Order: sequence, then C-alpha cells, then structure tokens
Amino acid sequence: MLRRFASNAASSLRAKDASFNAFVSFEDSPDLFKPNEGLLNDFSVGIKDNICTSALPTTCGSAILQDFRSPFDATVVKLLKEAGARIAGKTNCDEFGMGSLNIHSIHGPVVNPFDVDSRRAAGGSSGGSAAAVAAGLCDAALGTDTGGSIRLPASYCGVVGLKPSYGLLSRHGVVSYADSLDTVGVLAQNVQKVEKVFGSINKRDFNDPTSVSERLREKARLIAMERIQRWDTESLEGLRIGVPQEYFPSELNSASSHILSAIRHLLARLRSLGASIVPVSLPSTKYALSAYYVIASAEGSSCLSRYDGIRYGLRVPPSPGSDLTSTSETYAHSRSRGFGSEVKKRILLGTYALGADAFDNYFLQAQRVRQMVRNDFDRVFSITNVLHTENSSEEDVAGPGVNGVDVLIHPSAIRTAPRLDDVLDTLRQRDTLQDYVQDVLTVPASLSGLPALSVPVQNRSKFPASSLPTSTDKGYQQEAEKDEVGDAGWPIGVSIVGQWGTDELVLRVGQVIERLSRG
Amino acid sequence: MSRWLVDGWQVIIGIETHVQIKSSQKLFSRAPTSLLNDAPNTRYNAFDAALPGTLPRLNRKCLDLALRAAFALGCSVNKRSSFDRKHYFYFDQPTGYQITQHYSPFAVNGQYTSPKIGLPIRIKQIQLEQDTAKSITNARTRTALIDLNRAGAGLLEIVTEPDFRTAGQAAEYVRSLQELLRAVGVSDGNMEAGSLRCDVNVSINRPGEPPGTRTEVKNINSIKFMVAAIGYYLYCHSCTILETLGAKQKVPQETRGFNSETWKTFKLRSKEDAPDYRYMPDPNLGVLVLSEEHIEAVRREMPPLPDATRLRLIQTYSSSGVTERNIDVLMNLDAVRDIAYDGVAEDTAVGAVAYFELCSQGRDPKFVMDWIIQNFLGQLFALEKPFSTEYIPVAQMGDLLDLITTKQITRPSAKLLLKHMLVSPSDIPVRRLAEKMDVLSSVDEHSNSSSNHDSLRDVCIRAIDALPSEIAAIQAGNENVMNKVIGWIMRQTKGKVDVNRAKDILKQLLT
Repeated sequence: MLRRFASNAASSLRAKDASFNAFVSFEDSPDLFKPNEGLLNDFSVGIKDNICTSALPTTCGSAILQDFRSPFDATVVKLLKEAGARIAGKTNCDEFGMGSLNIHSIHGPVVNPFDVDSRRAAGGSSGGSAAAVAAGLCDAALGTDTGGSIRLPASYCGVVGLKPSYGLLSRHGVVSYADSLDTVGVLAQNVQKVEKVFGSINKRDFNDPTSVSERLREKARLIAMERIQRWDTESLEGLRIGVPQEYFPSELNSASSHILSAIRHLLARLRSLGASIVPVSLPSTKYALSAYYVIASAEGSSCLSRYDGIRYGLRVPPSPGSDLTSTSETYAHSRSRGFGSEVKKRILLGTYALGADAFDNYFLQAQRVRQMVRNDFDRVFSITNVLHTENSSEEDVAGPGVNGVDVLIHPSAIRTAPRLDDVLDTLRQRDTLQDYVQDVLTVPASLSGLPALSVPVQNRSKFPASSLPTSTDKGYQQEAEKDEVGDAGWPIGVSIVGQWGTDELVLRVGQVIERLSRG
Repeated sequence: MSRWLVDGWQVIIGIETHVQIKSSQKLFSRAPTSLLNDAPNTRYNAFDAALPGTLPRLNRKCLDLALRAAFALGCSVNKRSSFDRKHYFYFDQPTGYQITQHYSPFAVNGQYTSPKIGLPIRIKQIQLEQDTAKSITNARTRTALIDLNRAGAGLLEIVTEPDFRTAGQAAEYVRSLQELLRAVGVSDGNMEAGSLRCDVNVSINRPGEPPGTRTEVKNINSIKFMVAAIGYYLYCHSCTILETLGAKQKVPQETRGFNSETWKTFKLRSKEDAPDYRYMPDPNLGVLVLSEEHIEAVRREMPPLPDATRLRLIQTYSSSGVTERNIDVLMNLDAVRDIAYDGVAEDTAVGAVAYFELCSQGRDPKFVMDWIIQNFLGQLFALEKPFSTEYIPVAQMGDLLDLITTKQITRPSAKLLLKHMLVSPSDIPVRRLAEKMDVLSSVDEHSNSSSNHDSLRDVCIRAIDALPSEIAAIQAGNENVMNKVIGWIMRQTKGKVDVNRAKDILKQLLT
C-alpha cells in the first residue's frame, strides 16, 4: 500500500518533470523505518547525481558511470534520512560538475522551469537541483558548488542557493571534481528551508579529512551570532555591507543593466533600513577566474584518473589489433568513450597544468593567486578568519580593520538564463569562453572557501526604457535593448558572501533581502 | 666486486628501500592489511578500490611507526610535511595516482652508523606512501589479474645518499636496516614476502671526477640479487671501458629491472621515456602537523635499538663471563621474532634477551646464559621446535636453575626435567614435577652433610666392588674409564648424585 503510494508519487513526479529534465532517477521505494520525529519530516529532497546514494544510481551525468551504483550513502544523504527527509530522486547535472549551464550531461540539458516555452538554460552544474526546486518538484535539493555550481543555477532559476563555508558539510560520498573547491550546498524556494536543511546536515564527519573541527565551527558561529545581535528586523543599523567594485564588470553595465539596476535598488532599500553600504575593493578578483580554471582543471584531471573501466563503470574493451603495450592505451578506449567533450577538455587542460614544464607557471602561480584572493577577503571583512588565526602564533592577529564589512553583496551572475538554443548550437562557432566567464563572480568565494548565498531579487526590467544602457554605440545599444526585452522578468540573483564560518550571518542577511524583494 | 673493474675507478651506490609498515590497517583506509596467504581481493574497502566519493584518512598508527623509523635512522622530523599525488596509469594503481611525500617528506637528514658497514650512511629522506595493488600478468593471453589486498597499505621509502662504495657495504646496510626496523617494530623487513624491496642506483667514475651517469635497478627483492645486480652493472661497464681503453664512454641513464632467473638486469626505460608524474599536493590531506609533544611521546616509547642493546648487554654481563657470541645468539633469536601489529608493546611472549635478563635476576648470568643456550636452545633444536620462551615461563626456569644451584637436582636430572617441560609444558611447580619424576637428589643438602657423604661413599664402594676390571684400568692410569664407573653409579642412584662429588670420592677411595 505504502509502496504503491510511493511509486505513484514517483511516477507523478516523473510526469511533472518531463518538460524540465531536472531528475535523472526517482526514488520509488519509501524507507519504512525512517524516524517519525525528525526536523525534516515530510520534506522531500532531490540529490544531485554526483552525490552517492545506495538506493539509486550515481551517474554524475557521465557515460562512464552510467550504470554505477554506490555501495554506500554519502554522509549528507545519511544525515538527511536521519532527520526524516524523503529522498525524491537524483537530479541532473553537468558531467562531474563541470559546466555552468547544465548542457553537458548524458541525460540531456535541463530546461529552466521559469518559462519552459522559451527554453532557457537552468544554469549549472547543479541545474537539475535548481530546476527541481523552482518547479516545485521537491522541497529542497542538494547541489555541489566548485566554482559557482549552486549559485549560478539558483540565480538563473530564481531560487535560493547556499554554498556553505568549505569544510562544514561532509564530502564523504560526494564524487570529487576538485577536492579543494568542491562544496556541498542546499537549494530551496526560500532561505528558511535552506537553513533548515543546512542545519540538519551541518555536522563534523571523520570520514572527510577536510571536515573542520567542532571547536573552529563554534568559534566562527559565535562571532556570527554576535554580529547578528547588532541589528534587528526593524532596523539594520549596525550591519555593514560591502560592495566590491570589481564585481561590476563591463558586461553588467552594457548587456545586463537590469541586473545592475536591481542591485542598486536593493542596496538603496538596505541603506534606507539603516545598513551601512561601504564600497570596497578586492583587487585580485581579476585574476581569480584564470586561477580557478587552472586549479579546478588540475585537480579534476587528478580526481578523474580513477575512471579506467577496470573495477566499475563503463568498460570499452580494446578492439582487436589495437595497441596494448601500455596500460594507458587500454584505458584510453573506455575513457575516450566514457567522458564527454567538456570533461575531456578540462582533463587535458589540467594534465598540462600539472606537467613538469608548466607546473610552476600554471599550478603554483594559480595557488599564489588563490592566496591573494583570500587575503583580499580577509582585509575587507570586519570578522577574522578563524582558520587563518588558528595557524598563526598569536590569537588576535592584526587582521580586519574597524572599517571592515560584515558581508559582501554582489550580483550572482553577469546575466540571466541564456537560451538553450544559443548555447547548444554547435554548428554556429560559439565562443565557449563565454561559458567560463559566467563564473567570474562566483569563483572568488570558492577559492577562499567562504559562505555564499544567492537569493532572487526582483527583475525590474519590465520597464526597459528606465534602465537603458548609456552606451553611445548605436548597434550595441540595439542589441542590448533586444536582450533587455527578452530578459524581462527573468530571475536575477544577488549573492551575499561572508567570512569563513559565518554561514548563519549570511543566511540572516539573505532573509532580509528575500523579504525586501518580495515586499 | 672490483675484480671486474680497471683500477682507478670508483663505484658509487645509493639505495632506496620500500618498507611495508606493520600496521593492522592501511595507510589511508580502515581496511585490514593483508598477509601473503589471504585470498585475493578479500582485504580492501571502497577507498582502496578507488570508488567515487571515498576520501583518505591518515592512519595515525602508521605515522607513529614511521616516526620510530625516523628516530632509528637519526633523521630530523619535519613538524610540517605534506602529501602529494604521483600520477600514472597502471592497473596496479586504482586511483591513477599514488599518495606519497614528494615535495615535503616527514623525515630528512638522517645518519645511520653501524660498526658492520664501517662508514656512516647519510639518510636523505624518509617518506610515507601507499603501496600498490598486486598484479599478475599473463604475457601469453596479454591479461592481468589484480589483487587489491595490498593496495593502499602503508609504505616507508627510505632514501640514502650515494654513500656506498662496494656491493658488500650495500648488502650490509640492507641487513642492518632489516634488523633495525624489526627491532623497533616498524616492519617485518621480509624481502621474500615483499615487505622490503630495494631500488639501487649505481654509477662509476674516476676519483676526483664528477659522478658518472647513474643506472637505477628497481624492485630487487633479495640481498643476494642486489649484490648480483650491482655486479652485473659493473661487469657490463668494465667491458665497455676496457673496449674503449678508458676513453670517456657515455653510460646511458636508464632504469632497469633484475631478472632473478638469469641474474642479469634488463632495461625498463631510458631517461627519455622517464614519465612525468605530474606531482600535485593532495588537496584532501592538507598539511601534516606534528606537535613537539607527540614527537617526544613516540620517542619515549621507542624500543631500544639493536646496537644499543648489544652494547648494554656486553657492558652489563661480560664481567660475569657472558661472551659477545652468547649475546649475539640471543639477539639473533629476537631479530627473527614475529613483529606485533601497530608497534604494540604488550607483546605476549618475552623475547630471548629479556628472558635471559629476567632469569639472571639474583642468579649468575653466565650460569643462566649457559642453560638457556646449551640446554634450552639445544633441546629445542633436537626436538625440532621453534624458539619461544613460552614453553617455560621465567618463574619456572628460575625455579629449575635454583634447584641446580642448591644441588637439589643434578645437572643430568635437570636436563631430563627441562626436556620434559619443553615437550609437555604445564604450570605445575618445578619442584613438584621433579618429585613426580623422582629426580630430586636423594641426598638433601639441608640434612647432615656427612651422612650424605657417607651414602654416596657407600655407592662408590659398591661400584668398586662391582667393577673390578674398570677399577684396575683406572688405577693403571686410564682416566677415561672413570666415566664408565660414574655411569654405573648414576644408574644405581637414578642420576640423583653430583658427578663431581662422586668422582672426588672415587679418587679418594682409589688412592
């Protein structure tokens, strides 16, 4: 009886999802032994398909793992179940999390549920998770964010997406793309739901060597709570919000001025409520994207070297007469067929970056930039980074100044969701570099392991005339105008970024912004 | 070795040793380590099989054993070190990379001095790393079988500076290293079982000139083979040198393997084919931080090193007449003992040295040593039983020795008793056992000594009566016949008399 109910639920979900392609598999056998009293009772959660589940396949959107079923549940999945949540199914994603549009998946692209008929991308790589939440197919979804993979699709689909501080949520059972950047996060319709799920799975895990100690978590959390006490819902007096100038690149001023105007409007509202809006500079931001792609690709080439077709996953036997002199020749057959083009591209890039000749100029240089990006953040925040003070000799290092800010606010993306036809059109020699540039606003927080939350804000471009770009280039202006009309009403996301471990503070500011956007 | 070489050339040898750490679990996973006789693919978990979503977790017990090795080899321990991924595709490497310590090993700059090698050997570094899976390739079918039992087990790579000048020194180093690592409980050091493997770097040059191009011979699994591999290298190059009459001959830099069938090395790859391992810091394991307290705690619990033990034993016991040879016999017994997992101290069986020292407390060390080596060991050897101190616990052995010194039991009877105790060990008190076997001296030390003397004297007189021709021979000067008379007395008394005293009485009676 229960089983039939559950499979009915699964098939109904399957039918609803047909036009979005958000799910790649559905849970149709309910766990009869789940606890009755859990924080997440009656909560249905979608799980990104690069997070291991023992009941459902874990394909990572890749042919090489198309039939792979993990023998264990990821720690975050286990914790969700313990809290009483029901796993709705596995959500679509870019292959191994590599992509910004969720178009690089063996299961096909995800269609943005905001307006299915206009066939726009959901963003990636956690596109399925964002779309599932946006379409109301589940209460919340887990995603992973390596360089923006939660925040970008959250922004494109108009949902809330949290990339927590690195080291809070367990990565045990999360299929690695780039270990030093991969972060599990939560997507939901509102901040409250995100917080509820995040709170249930935010636990130290000894199966993850990068899981941060209870002591440091508590230390950072206390600082965050102290900050939150300084202001209240009536007045934001005492909240210092930084606006980093580097996060408003030329792309925003021209083609996507509606994003700019939405942010300006939001900042004005926040100021009117008493918050201090402080212009800040993070000068290393301009190098962050290149550094990110070097590090992520290098780690990706390493993490993906285990897919060889020997112990599990797709195995393509060498054709008769093929070269078998080396192991790699044998592996090449499975790997060439099993990996998609985007994954291959990044493996090649990463392999090159780690080579003896390139290592210093690419990998090490990128690590140096990563440190510069971290230092930038530590300088502007009013809160010390407990991870860094931990390793230095003095407890209270001369870190942030009195003029520091509590959180940073910037647009989550440089545009709204692009049309799938445009990004999938392989005949037109598309500038694929544009796909990478989409991450420009999200990678710095990833490189620094900081909590970042994308919250939808009102797109005010229903009145295009009020926000026309001021460019004197006639042709350009026309193009922008066209784009403006097309973007009318499409979701825009604003990102709130905080110091390491101050996830509660970030969520609280997100809640304020959410209320302003809705009110 | 140098018989193959033209005079005026110098051989330079460096050794890299891979040592399996004797831990109960693997280096980064909680899967149990395996023995050679475990069925293939029964000792691994999801991490060892490189399943997606698995992450490494350092086994601190491996780390502590590694620290012992570092102390034993006089290395300085880096308070901060890190792990790196060494990438290559080979079917014995499930993840496609080995986790090792390329950029920052945990121990560096050691020095190992052993009187047997004759010169100090500098240790460049020791790194912690993962072992590979085992693969069995079938050349005919061009297939390979993979056994993950060994995959991910903890290894130490111990790298020396090129300080050896002869194959003999190299061989002695590996032997000493085996003994050293076993003594501190780090590894079995068993080359046949593969728990210790060597890579040898050899080059030759004229003294005063820069070192020649080096050749590396990888994965040698016996000392004999190592000596042969070095010899074969020198043989090949002495041929080349002789042919070119000493002209500067370009020696190719290459990596070779050793064929134990032909006793020759074969080319694995040249310098040009040297793989680019694309070393990358492991992003999961981060920096390995060792606190001073932890380092000192491990140092305090270090078992003593063999050279120190030998020296101490000589200093303590040589004045009592214990020889260095005796001490070496005991130490060699300890050197081949099974090593406990994870370096645990609560070893059930007492080692040979400890057994000797415990038994010597309050007794004459030379007397104890003689009984352990000549009788205890000798009888075990005759019975074809392996050495263990568990047959006769320290207290029992002490009681037995005390019965001898207090002359409550004769030496021949004690030997008989010892044999019985070895054949059927029990916890029956030795004295009771002696009573049961009726081997206690009929002549009680504590009773009137003259009466004992008299009774022994009576037996001797009976012997003289019973063996007239033997007595005549003795009186004619044939001293050897005395043993026959003693034998008769022993039979009569069931061996319960003191041989020396009987001899004295006989001599007294016959003069």
